Amino acid sequence: MPSTVVAAVLEADAADAQIAAERENAVVVAKSMTIDNEGGGADHIIVIQDVFTPSAYYGTEAPAEEEIDRHKITAIQGDIITLGEEDLKGVKCLGAMRVYSDGADADCFITVGYDHEE
Amino acid sequence: MLELQPKPQFSVVVPPKLLQEGYLVHFDSDWPSTHDAIREKTFRIDVVNQVPYDLPYILPTGAAGTIYRDVDFSNGSGTFQESIYPTKQNSLFEVLVGFKPGNFLTHWFIPAGKSVHALEYAQMYPDLTDTKRQYLGARQPKDSPYDDPRIKMYLVKDLAPLIMRLYVLPGVLFEKIVVGLTINKCLLREIEAPTEDQLLKAKVIRYYDYLRW
Repeated sequence: MPSTVVAAVLEADAADAQIAAERENAVVVAKSMTIDNEGGGADHIIVIQDVFTPSAYYGTEAPAEEEIDRHKITAIQGDIITLGEEDLKGVKCLGAMRVYSDGADADCFITVGYDHEE
Repeated sequence: MLELQPKPQFSVVVPPKLLQEGYLVHFDSDWPSTHDAIREKTFRIDVVNQVPYDLPYILPTGAAGTIYRDVDFSNGSGTFQESIYPTKQNSLFEVLVGFKPGNFLTHWFIPAGKSVHALEYAQMYPDLTDTKRQYLGARQPKDSPYDDPRIKMYLVKDLAPLIMRLYVLPGVLFEKIVVGLTINKCLLREIEAPTEDQLLKAKVIRYYDYLRW
């Protein structure tokens, strides 16, 4: 199971906090998540976001990109939160998996373990 | 204790899912004259080559039957054409179709607009805008799983477009639909004068109209 570590960024910068790229014939499933806000400057709401562009369908040949929030959790300043597979059950992204926060914080680290499930 | 396993009295042989080299195929007289090159003819398969191909789509939920995607397996550069058909007269493509799990269903048409699974009473044809008839003739992922596909298509050059309509059922905003194809490319060699025995052994490939009598 691969994992990626990113610092908390705002939604506008979420492209810089990509956890897993889209794989066309698979979905990205979150397996674990650790939010290290021990040295962070404030409480943060951390969101797992799914980003993809739908396929063409009847009446719409070029759909716009979609950004859908799949999971949201608050990390209190000074805390470290660890979520396992059971806590993240059902959290899957059809496209790329990103994370963002309600506030940018270079001292709040988010680690997400994931699998591309075929 | 010493045990002697008895010799089995019979064994079960599971036939291969796909056509193999040396197999015989026969195209019956139902094929129209536009397919004269194969109509009422018998062929031996000289070479096979299996080509796997995943077709992925992300689609929004169906919105009362108004949102769907037509997958046209015929050749061309249209947005919905997948160009799976053979272009050579001596090719037969046997295609297995399986689906990864998901919240969607499929309807099948050949040619476009003519359902394969209509019943006989008036209006008893698949209709995505109708809450009941959207399930009429619908094939769901469990009917043909990705790892054990049960939908099979036989494609020849210039066959009418075969359309698979994908429709995401309510309950999710979007769904990722992965259609797994195994395209068994078969090179055909005509048997000019097949024997009675060869005709009996040959797999009969019928024209699609036989499904709608």
